[in-house]
Amino acid sequence: MRKAFLVAFVICSLLSFVPAAFAAPTGKVKDNLVIGVAQEINELNPMMQNDQINNNCFALSHERLIFVDANNGYEIEPEIAESWKWKDDTHLIFTLFKNVRFSNGTPLTSADVVFTLNRARSSDPTQSKVSGTLSLIKDVSALDDYTVQVTTSAYSNELIYSLGAYPLAIQSKAAYADPNNKKPWLIGSGPYQFKEWKEGQYVTYTLGKNYWNDKKEPPVAKEITFKFLLDASQRAIALQNGEIDVCIDPPITDLRFLQNDKNLIVHTQAGTRLFYLGFNVAKAPFDNQKLRQAVSCAIDKESIISIVLDGRGKSQTSVLNRGAWSFLDNDKVKGGYTYDVPRAKNLLAEAGYKPGALTVELYSATDDPYKTIAPIIQANLKDIGINVAIKSMDQATLKTECAKGHQQMFLWRWNIGARVDETYRELFYTDFPTNYHQLKDKYVDQMTDKILTEKDQAKRLQYSIDLQNYLVELVPQVPLYVPDLVIAFNKGLKGAYLTGGGAHNWSRAYIQQ
Amino acid sequence: MFRYILKRLVIMVPTLLITSLLIFWAMDLAGGDPVDQILPENASVAQRDAMRQQMGFNDPFMIRYLRYIKGIVTGDMGKSYISGEDVFKTFMGRLHMTLLLGGTALIFACIISIPLGIYTALHENTWKDTAAMVFALFGQSMPNFWLGLMLILLFSLKLGLLPSGGTGGIRYLILPSVTVGLSLAALLTRTTRSAMLDVIRQDYMTTARAKGASYQRVIYNHGLRNALIPIITAIGMQFSYVMTGSALAETVFGWPGIGRLVVESINKRDTPMVTGSIILCCVLMAVINLSVDIIYAFCDPRIKAQYSSKG
Repeated sequence: MRKAFLVAFVICSLLSFVPAAFAAPTGKVKDNLVIGVAQEINELNPMMQNDQINNNCFALSHERLIFVDANNGYEIEPEIAESWKWKDDTHLIFTLFKNVRFSNGTPLTSADVVFTLNRARSSDPTQSKVSGTLSLIKDVSALDDYTVQVTTSAYSNELIYSLGAYPLAIQSKAAYADPNNKKPWLIGSGPYQFKEWKEGQYVTYTLGKNYWNDKKEPPVAKEITFKFLLDASQRAIALQNGEIDVCIDPPITDLRFLQNDKNLIVHTQAGTRLFYLGFNVAKAPFDNQKLRQAVSCAIDKESIISIVLDGRGKSQTSVLNRGAWSFLDNDKVKGGYTYDVPRAKNLLAEAGYKPGALTVELYSATDDPYKTIAPIIQANLKDIGINVAIKSMDQATLKTECAKGHQQMFLWRWNIGARVDETYRELFYTDFPTNYHQLKDKYVDQMTDKILTEKDQAKRLQYSIDLQNYLVELVPQVPLYVPDLVIAFNKGLKGAYLTGGGAHNWSRAYIQQ
Repeated sequence: MFRYILKRLVIMVPTLLITSLLIFWAMDLAGGDPVDQILPENASVAQRDAMRQQMGFNDPFMIRYLRYIKGIVTGDMGKSYISGEDVFKTFMGRLHMTLLLGGTALIFACIISIPLGIYTALHENTWKDTAAMVFALFGQSMPNFWLGLMLILLFSLKLGLLPSGGTGGIRYLILPSVTVGLSLAALLTRTTRSAMLDVIRQDYMTTARAKGASYQRVIYNHGLRNALIPIITAIGMQFSYVMTGSALAETVFGWPGIGRLVVESINKRDTPMVTGSIILCCVLMAVINLSVDIIYAFCDPRIKAQYSSKG
C-alpha cells in the first residue's frame, strides 16, 4: 500500500513538470499591448494597399493560405491551407483546413479563397492594387468546398510565396455580398478583429471570440493598439514613460538611454533591407563597366555603417537581400569590388578617365538615411578624383526620375525576402518599370526566367549563385549595407514574432507584468 | 456692416480660385508620379497605364484642373489617392484637433503676453523690461520642435507629470499648446509693449489721470483699449499661422492636426488631399481675418463707422 502510494506520488510529481501544450502566461498580463509605430496606417483593405505598415494590422485580423517563416529560411507553413501541391506545370492545388472560421463565426471555404484571389486579380484599381503579383494566374476555381485549384500560364517556383503575401489574405465573400456591410474587408479569420481607427492617432484591434485554430498558440492580449508617433525621439520617450510598450525604429542616437533603462530591452537582430548605390547603365558615363567597378572600389562601406548606423549593420556584396534563399554572403562571392582605393584609381584609369576630369550626379532622397549616405559617397569618390553633385529630392520624385532614366547614380533600397525572382526581375529585368538601372542584359533575363521555372532545386540554386556572381562583376549597383533590425520594448514583452525586414507579427504578443 | 461682410465673402471666391490653381500647378510641377505612390512597385506597365487612364492623369493640366473645380462646386473635393477617403471628411476630422491646439495655445499666449506687455511698457528701460524682451527674443528664435522635445524630456520623462504625446484629455494638450503658445507669447508681448508705449505717451492719458481717474482705470480703460487694434491684428495673423502651420509641433507630439496631414499628403503626392486641404485652410484664414476685422469694429467705433459708410 505504502509502495503504491509512493509510486503514485512520484508519477504525479513528474507529471507536474510536463508543460501543457500551450502554457498560459503566469502572473498578471497587461490587457492592452500598445505599439508605437513610425508611420500612419493608411488602409485596412489588404488588397488596396502596398505599405508594410498596414501589414501589422492584417497579421492580427487576417490569414493567408500559407505562412512564410522569415525566421526559418523562408520555410512555407500551413495557415488556412493544410497542404498544397503542383498537380502539373499549370495547376496548383490547395487543400484547406475544414474548421476555419471568420471572426463573425461564418465558415471559410474554397468559395472565399476563389472570391479573394479573383478580386485580387482584377485590373480595376478600385478593387485591387496588387494584381501585378498575380499575372501568372489564368484562373482560380473551387474543386469542392475545401479544395482550390489555381491555373497558371506556366510553372513558377515562387507563386506560392506570392500567395502568402498579406494583400492576398483571405476575405469573406458573404461579407462583400451583404449590402449592409460597408467595410467587408475588415472581416478575416485571424485571432483579432478590428475595433477602432482614429485617423492620425491609432488603430485598435480586440481579441475575437471565434478564432478557429486551437492547434496554434492562443493569443493573450485583450487588445492591441498601434499608436502613430512619427517623431523618433518622442516615440523613445513614450516607451520610457510606459505610454507605449514597444518602440519601432528607435533613434540610433537615443539607444544608450534605452539600454540603460532597466525596464526596457533593446533587441537587435540581423536585418534584411538592402541599401544600395545604383547606376544608370544605359547612358554615359556609367555605361562603362570599368568606371562602375572603380566606383565600387572607392566606397568605404564600413564608414557608412559606422556613421549612419552607429555600427549596427553589415556591409554586403550580393544584390539579394540578406537571408534570402541562395543569398551569397560576402566571403562566398567570387571576386567582387570591395573598398580598395589604389585599385579604384587603377580601374578609373582603365576606364579612360583622369582624376578630376569627371563630374557625375547622385540622386538622393531628402530623408534618412539617404541624406547622410550621399555626402559620404561624395567624399569617397572625391578621393579617387570623381566629383559628385548631389541632387536631393523627395522619394516620389526620385522614383519617377529614375523610372524615366534621368539619373546617373542613385541611392535606393530593396526589401524582398522570400521571392528572389522579384529582386532579379524588378531590379534588373529588361524594361521592367522598377529596373531603375535601365539594364538590358540577355543573360540576366534568361537566368531570371530559369530561376523562376527550374524544378531541379540544385540546378536552380546554382543558377542563382551564378547570377549573383555575374551581377557582382557587372556592377549595375553597389550593394552598400543591411542595417540590423533594432527595436526597443518593455522587458515583459513575450510572444512577439520579429523579422529582420520589419514584417512583425504581434498576434501572440503580450506584456507579462 | 452687413454689406461689408458680404463683400468680403464675395471677394473670397476669386482668391480661392487663384489659390487652387496655384496649388494644383505646384503639385504638377513638383514631379513624382502619383501612380508610383498608389500602386505597388511591382505593378505592371499595363496596370500603371490603366490607372493613369482611369484617374485622368493623362489629361492636359487645364482639363484636370477644371474637372477638379467642377467637383468642388458640386460639393465633391475628391478622394485621397492613398487612403481612398473623402478629402473634406478627412480634413474636418482633423480640423477640430488643430482648432483645439491653436485655440489653447492662443489663450495661453494671451494670458502671458498681454499683462507682460503692459507691465514692460510701464517699466520701460528697466531691468524688468530687458528681461521680458530677452524672453521675447528667446521665444521667437527657438525652434518649436526643439522646445517641444525639451519640454517632453523635462515634464514627461524626468518629472513624469505629463504624457509625451498623443491625445486623450486635457493633460495631453498642455505640452503641445505651451510649445506652440510660447513663440506666440513672445511675439504678442513685443506687440503689446510697443502698442502700449505709443498710447501711454498720448496727451489724453495725462488728461485722464489729471482728472482724477485711478491708475488702473487709466491704463486698462483708456490705454489698453486704444492699444488693442495692433494686438488684435497680431493675434489674428498668428492664429491663422497656428491653424494652418503647426506641422512640426503636431509631429513631435503625435497630434493629429491638419498641418501634419498636409505635409504627409505632399510627400505622398496625394494631390486631391493637398489641394483640398490648402483650399480649406485658405477659407479658414479668410474667415479668421474677417472675424478680426469685425472685432476691430467693436473695439474702435471709428472703424465701425467706416465699415457702415463704405457698406
